Amino acid sequence: MKKYFALLLTLLFLGCSSGSDKPGPEPADEGKDRSVMLKALAENIIVPSYDQFKTKFDLMAEKSKAFTAKPDAQALGEFRNAWAEAYIAWERVELFDFGPAEKQTIRNFFNIYPASEAGIAANITDPTSSLEVPASYPTQGFPALDYLINGLGANDTAILAQYSTDKDAAKKLAYITRVIARMESLLGKVMSEWKGEYLNTFVSKTGLDIGSSTSLMVNGLVLHYERYIRSGKFGIPSGAMANGIPAPEKVEALYIKNMSQILAQAAHSAYVDFFNGRHAVTGEAGPGIKSYLNALGAKDSGTGKPLTESINAQFQVAAAKLGVLKPNLYEEVKTNNQAMKDTYTEMQKAVRMLKVDMTSAMSITITYTDNDGD
Amino acid sequence: MRAYLQKYTSAAPLAAFRALFGLMLAISTGRFVALGWVRELYISPRFFFPFYGFEFVKPLGESTYLLFAVCGISALLVAIGWHYRLASIALFLSFTYIELIDKSTYLNHYYFVSVLCFMLVFLPANTLFSVDARRNEALRAGQVPAWCVDSVRMIVCMLYCYAGIAKLNSDWLLEALPMKIWLPAKNDTPLIGPLFNHLETAYIFSWIGCIYDLSVGFLLWNHRTRPFAYASVVVFHLLTSLLFPIGMFPYIMIVTALVFFPAAFHQKIIDRVGRLLAFPPGAIRSAAHYRFPVWLQPVVYAIFALFFVFQITFPFRYLLYPNELFWTEEGYRFSWRVMLMEKAGYTQFTVTDATGKRQIVNNNDFLTRLQEKMMSTQPDMILQYAHMLRDHYAAHGFTQPHVYVDSYVALNGRTGKPLIAPDVDLAQQNDSFRHKSWITPFNNEIKGL
Repeated sequence: MKKYFALLLTLLFLGCSSGSDKPGPEPADEGKDRSVMLKALAENIIVPSYDQFKTKFDLMAEKSKAFTAKPDAQALGEFRNAWAEAYIAWERVELFDFGPAEKQTIRNFFNIYPASEAGIAANITDPTSSLEVPASYPTQGFPALDYLINGLGANDTAILAQYSTDKDAAKKLAYITRVIARMESLLGKVMSEWKGEYLNTFVSKTGLDIGSSTSLMVNGLVLHYERYIRSGKFGIPSGAMANGIPAPEKVEALYIKNMSQILAQAAHSAYVDFFNGRHAVTGEAGPGIKSYLNALGAKDSGTGKPLTESINAQFQVAAAKLGVLKPNLYEEVKTNNQAMKDTYTEMQKAVRMLKVDMTSAMSITITYTDNDGD
Repeated sequence: MRAYLQKYTSAAPLAAFRALFGLMLAISTGRFVALGWVRELYISPRFFFPFYGFEFVKPLGESTYLLFAVCGISALLVAIGWHYRLASIALFLSFTYIELIDKSTYLNHYYFVSVLCFMLVFLPANTLFSVDARRNEALRAGQVPAWCVDSVRMIVCMLYCYAGIAKLNSDWLLEALPMKIWLPAKNDTPLIGPLFNHLETAYIFSWIGCIYDLSVGFLLWNHRTRPFAYASVVVFHLLTSLLFPIGMFPYIMIVTALVFFPAAFHQKIIDRVGRLLAFPPGAIRSAAHYRFPVWLQPVVYAIFALFFVFQITFPFRYLLYPNELFWTEEGYRFSWRVMLMEKAGYTQFTVTDATGKRQIVNNNDFLTRLQEKMMSTQPDMILQYAHMLRDHYAAHGFTQPHVYVDSYVALNGRTGKPLIAPDVDLAQQNDSFRHKSWITPFNNEIKGL
């Protein structure tokens, strides 16, 4: 009996180990089950990423209160640091521009740049101005805060003067509060939807037709990479896209000067992590677009190379180009623009793979219209 | 041949087909208008892709609705057989005109409808069960030349058979492509969904689809196999309508395939409906034989002979082109190649001129989503669009603009690659039936027909 038991245990062990040795082919149905993928993406990445962002955002809101209560050098420094950290965390959720975020068009209110200095000035003068209309996009969110805390003066002394001795100091402080309150309210709406009914909707709409979760998500993701990473952060400032005329003033986080590359890196790595299904907290790879494509058997018929490997390889090439850029992309456009354009070019190659190879393998139709380049 | 041409058969199948087909087209036209597609496809776009040789077909702006009205009303008139000859001519012309406005809306089933409408113009489909026959006793005829009914059956047979022949290639049969890509997308279908996760299912679908297409026409024609063949038509087309977004086509085929049924079947339907509508008996059943006017008969013979020669040979024109048909699409349309490829593409156009002007084009400034999608994978449309861009930028300050395209196209799961040579100035190239040398070679092989 003992022997039999030992044998059974050994077999069991062997069975387990041979099963877990290879993380490779999961049962076909499992890997191709879109509800499994959607659930994992929502629970492991989207919701925790929003939580992480919320923590940073709350800290920034707190520091902004301290600053508006007592606008001195220390409060400004702390507010600025909290703002920078929140901005980086934002780059890790901006890509979820589908479902609640798309409904609230949160990106339009959080990160449309370059900020409109004139628009911000007008809003400061008129506290009843609308922050809902499209014209108000560049007057709020992180870019507006960038201008308000980094761009209002040539140095900290000058900036602090704007909030203390200037005749409109109170109004300016009030505008900071107003911008942050607006962001808080939008973020609250998006997060409560994800934590409420929408999660079920997201997981249960498993089709691939227009309007189903996977289709919305893939469309949102491809658009994000194409328009908001490739074009917004590189193509437009470097002039690679329109007439070849560089526009360094169109970089992200223009006023703080030494952050634009860090933000781009955060956005890019968040994107790659999402593609690979990496858990937002543990970093472990789980079900996601990569595993779904692998389960579908998407590979180049000539070389047999899995599509996900090709895409990841191209992500790496683009990340490498992006990695060697200096933190201040404004300066890079002015002095080292070819490196900016090279980054754009490598990202462009990734866009094609995402937009054509990936969607074709998944049988998803790209439904968004691309309006960049103008 | 002479004996065959003098053979007569019951007019009932043709009359029933006319009524059902007209009704389907009327519904189809109404549906098209109701879905808002007239504006979306034929009025809103800034630019249209006319067919080579049919550039005189112009979009009609708001009058497109009028065109659809003509089409819908003439379809109804054909259905009830009132002023049939005029109505069938109006239906053929209006429907075909609509289809010729923009290549990006090309569908084989629209072409099939045009082909059937063309035949109906000449066929005596109103001699029974029609308002014309009701009003005009002289027109009534229960017997029509057998070739009139057979030619409709023949074209249906050809549609299926050619669609089957097109599937005799290595991608379809050996790789189960594109089924392998399309089926898992439907794996959340209730009950049968999980089946679509298995590669075997894709192979079974591919092979059954191919065998079905090759044989169903003949099986419909043979009276012993007909009931099973028709049942398979219904199941097959309902299944495809469940799985793929192909609109009215499955229903049109289900109705059209009834034409293979024997006269008694159609006569029974006509008797029943005719009595309900209080038709005089002579307009439902008649012993009279329909005769073409003496002067017209040879003309109709000639037209149908030419028509069938064209139908038989035209789909094979692709053999005259080098390179892979699926890649170049030279000779792809009007050949009953249905649901054969998963093809996706991305194109970025650059316009330059000698003075140093340079513009990267945003396709959405000029094309609709559908147009961009279609254009991105089809070389002749890429060229048409390039010419449009050339003319647009020439009118906007560029001197003799050059147009280049950076294209990236994926076919049946192969990793994407350029479809068009990126260094060729498309502004200088002309469209013709000749091979387009600026299409990048496929460098892969899809074996078969």
